[in-house]
Amino acid sequence: MSQPESDRSSSCRILSALADGDCTDGEAVRAFQAWRDDPDARATWHRYQLIGDVLRSEDLATAPASDEAFLVALRARLADEPVVLAPQPRAEDPAVAAPAVANASGAAARSRGRWQGPVAMAAGFLVVIGGLNIVRPFNRASDANLAQAGAASGPVMASATAVNNGAIVPATQQTPAQNKAAADQLAPYLAAHRQSAMNAPFQMPGNDLRNVSLVQPAR
Amino acid sequence: MTMLNPDPDAALVERVKQGDVRAFEMLVVKYQRRIERLIGRMVRDVDLVSDIAQETFIRAYRALPQFRAESAFYTWLYRIAVNTAKKALVDMKRDPVTTLTALQGADDDDETYRGGMEPTDGETPEALLASKEIAATVNAAIAALSEDLRQAITLREIEGLSYEEISDVMNCPIGTVRSRIFRAREAIAERLRPLLDTREGNRW
Repeated sequence: MSQPESDRSSSCRILSALADGDCTDGEAVRAFQAWRDDPDARATWHRYQLIGDVLRSEDLATAPASDEAFLVALRARLADEPVVLAPQPRAEDPAVAAPAVANASGAAARSRGRWQGPVAMAAGFLVVIGGLNIVRPFNRASDANLAQAGAASGPVMASATAVNNGAIVPATQQTPAQNKAAADQLAPYLAAHRQSAMNAPFQMPGNDLRNVSLVQPAR
Repeated sequence: MTMLNPDPDAALVERVKQGDVRAFEMLVVKYQRRIERLIGRMVRDVDLVSDIAQETFIRAYRALPQFRAESAFYTWLYRIAVNTAKKALVDMKRDPVTTLTALQGADDDDETYRGGMEPTDGETPEALLASKEIAATVNAAIAALSEDLRQAITLREIEGLSYEEISDVMNCPIGTVRSRIFRAREAIAERLRPLLDTREGNRW
């Protein structure tokens, strides 16, 4: 029995502090929960507020039934309202936390001015990184090839390439054995392609695959 | 960490902004009487006062995400109440018969609910008598308080001083101020309970 009374007293202390705007975050949460769940807490909150009003002016000593009816009617209307959800400002940005309503456009302009520089710099970095990513595969392949070839040759301009284990290797840097193996792999493919091209009604342009036969009409 | 805010309602307002409609109810209970008195001074029609006060709180609730805490919440609410009452007066001049429908106006075309239309009992003889009893009881309870408790609750509620300012005035720690104000409220509430308990607690 004493524990609930102690809880009630503690809850009332917190409500009293909350009424004056002086409580910890945890206490505030407890007070909100008490208001939501405990009719006694709601009655206590009303009593404290009524006492303050009457101390300020006896005109405000309204009957509680009137206050209850007002809240019940307002609850019904609030039930039809969408729930308020305001964007939460960052704590470290006081200009965002408390911008002026009257000169909101000015505050917005100042805010834009603050983030325009960093955003432009970040965009510049992204462009540079994107460019490097485009160029880098070729550099990687070139680096790998150079490592494979050793330091024997100087800078090489690739005039043609062949696929070797997924890497792009300039043909001029392949060994004769590699060239022969590649030619052997390509031979069946080219032969099949020629055969297909000869039988096809339409041919795609391609000089190295086209067979031309000249038929002389008999006279 | 103790929050010492210039606006005593900051914690409640933030809670509402996070979607807790019950915290808004606490603000309504806190300010309803003052808002109704303010509106009552502008609008002579007693039956309209409650409707305009309801509309004031609904508008405040809708606009709360835009409340930037440049001023105290009550100052902001006060302005909304004045504007709502002025709009009601303009609408009444244009159409004296229509009351709440005119009040809700062009920007609330889709609203049809008229939850605040119940007649108020604030002006009945019984209600006036109850109000006088409440005022007399509070005054008697204040007179019966010890000097420390009376000074603490008076500095807070009438003079509007913060706990820190009261601790300077009374030359005591803030925790003592907090305790004295709570004890003063409890002592007054204890005397008020027989008057309020008849219906209180059933619907809050």
